[in-house]
Amino acid sequence: MLILGIETSCDETSAALVADGKTILSSAIATQMDLLKKYGGVVPEVAARRHTELIGYVIQEALDTGCKTLADVEAVAVTSRQGLIGCLMVGVAAAKSISYARQIPLIGLHHIEGHIFANRLSNPDLPIPHIALTVSGGHNMLVHVQENCRYEIMGATLDDAAGEAFDKVAKFLGLDFPGGPVIDKLSKQGNRKAFSFPRPMIKSKTLDFSFSGLKTAVINMFKAQIAAGEALPLADIAASFQEAIVDVLVAKTLRAVEDKDLNVVSVTGGVSANTRLREVFTETCKKKGIQVFFPKMSLCTDNAAMIAAAGYARMMLGERSDLRLNVFPNAPLGG
Amino acid sequence: MIVLGIDTSGYINAVGISDGVNVLADASFPARTDSLEQIVDNIDSVLKKANLALKDVAGIGVGLGPGSWTGIKVGVTVGKMLAFSANKPVAGIPTLDALAYGVRDKSPLVCAVIGAGIRDTIYAAFYRFANDLPVKEGDYFTGDAKDIAPLVKEPVTLVGSDANHYYELLTNEDKSLNTKIKALEATPSGAAVACLAAMRLKQGKADDTLSLMPLYLKESTAKVFVNKYSAKA
Repeated sequence: MLILGIETSCDETSAALVADGKTILSSAIATQMDLLKKYGGVVPEVAARRHTELIGYVIQEALDTGCKTLADVEAVAVTSRQGLIGCLMVGVAAAKSISYARQIPLIGLHHIEGHIFANRLSNPDLPIPHIALTVSGGHNMLVHVQENCRYEIMGATLDDAAGEAFDKVAKFLGLDFPGGPVIDKLSKQGNRKAFSFPRPMIKSKTLDFSFSGLKTAVINMFKAQIAAGEALPLADIAASFQEAIVDVLVAKTLRAVEDKDLNVVSVTGGVSANTRLREVFTETCKKKGIQVFFPKMSLCTDNAAMIAAAGYARMMLGERSDLRLNVFPNAPLGG
Repeated sequence: MIVLGIDTSGYINAVGISDGVNVLADASFPARTDSLEQIVDNIDSVLKKANLALKDVAGIGVGLGPGSWTGIKVGVTVGKMLAFSANKPVAGIPTLDALAYGVRDKSPLVCAVIGAGIRDTIYAAFYRFANDLPVKEGDYFTGDAKDIAPLVKEPVTLVGSDANHYYELLTNEDKSLNTKIKALEATPSGAAVACLAAMRLKQGKADDTLSLMPLYLKESTAKVFVNKYSAKA
């Protein structure tokens, strides 16, 4: 079954063709990096207007590079839940128009379920059940992934997502946007132990996260150094900050794995591209005999291939959306 | 040439069908904030009532706004993606044109108005008719409703969904206007959009499908702010 996936929940306009939920024929992604740099982040109305401008071209690109036409497409899968409302609307409006005009089935999906499937697309042998850590600028969750698209949310961030903390700290340090890749790169030249930043909630009994206090600690230390007229070892600050985040993410994920008596971890979302996070997860899991999986780099950030893959799985369970499909910006996973 | 017309720029989803001369169907559905949820269903029900399927129409007309930012994003995306998927030509029609076209027999001069969201700010344009087609006079107006008072020099029909309210504002501003202005409450009509689109498409003047964009007369607040800031810097 050839599925056209559409994803516009935040700032990437994307469309992809995926066959039978496994084979990516094409994945077209138009980033809004020019706008992000201009505004220092995502401005919902600006992003939504850009989606309106690009959506048709991106779908055309996905069809062209996949050497297919709309007549070959058997279903449309679209992100309809969790994201910026105006942005989600553009993708859903496009998806239901295609579904109606071509008389093919439509399915609306949750963005986070897409990220969970990004790892299944990259690693067909990823066992289920497993624990998924979804981590990006917009979400930060621990999910017990079960058979038949059933999910139990074990923990989530109480304030900033890890990626958001990366972006905000980078902005404060005067680094480029987005902060994740910039801090990752800079950290390679820094000393991870130069500063001892807090590891928020690392010992708490819950599996929830909180990164806003860590962000403040970094900013306060940075201000204190400026006030004292000391030199600013940016690479050391970046490396120490990154290490604190990585420590918390890894510790909590391993706790979730123990809680469910599992031995498989899937790390997914934009921050799963972070090299230090991958390194620590790989080392720690190896020691404990736990299998750990990461998506291909191209599937870490938002993309429509993961939505098409999730759509295929749901359709195999007999699920469909009707033409009244609407958007739900704050819907929980599974809702 | 049978054309499907849609407009979701206001608090209704307007869907109509026209061949450029006759109205085959014209319906409007209350939508407030859920134009996205209903629009494709609305299109389907209007087509079915006219015993047509999407494949039977020769083109698609879509109201570009101005109007609700969400509404016009939804309408234009649906309009262009239906056209793209069904391989039909598309024509974008400014919603103020469609409003004016609906009252072409009322007076030689028409002022079409649409609320711009904040208090009594409006989007507006003046139209005269040539061969029954609305021809816009001057630029689009965006601003406080009462500020169009000085622009009214001759009898004019004020048309829009809150025309009576704007009539009150204008005549309070300038008492002499009550003999010049006639207010007519009307919402954008899908059939008017379809009709104007059919005339354009017949002349081979389709819009480029994929690049079709809503008519934004106001920038987003963030863009206004950033532009101001970078101009100062």
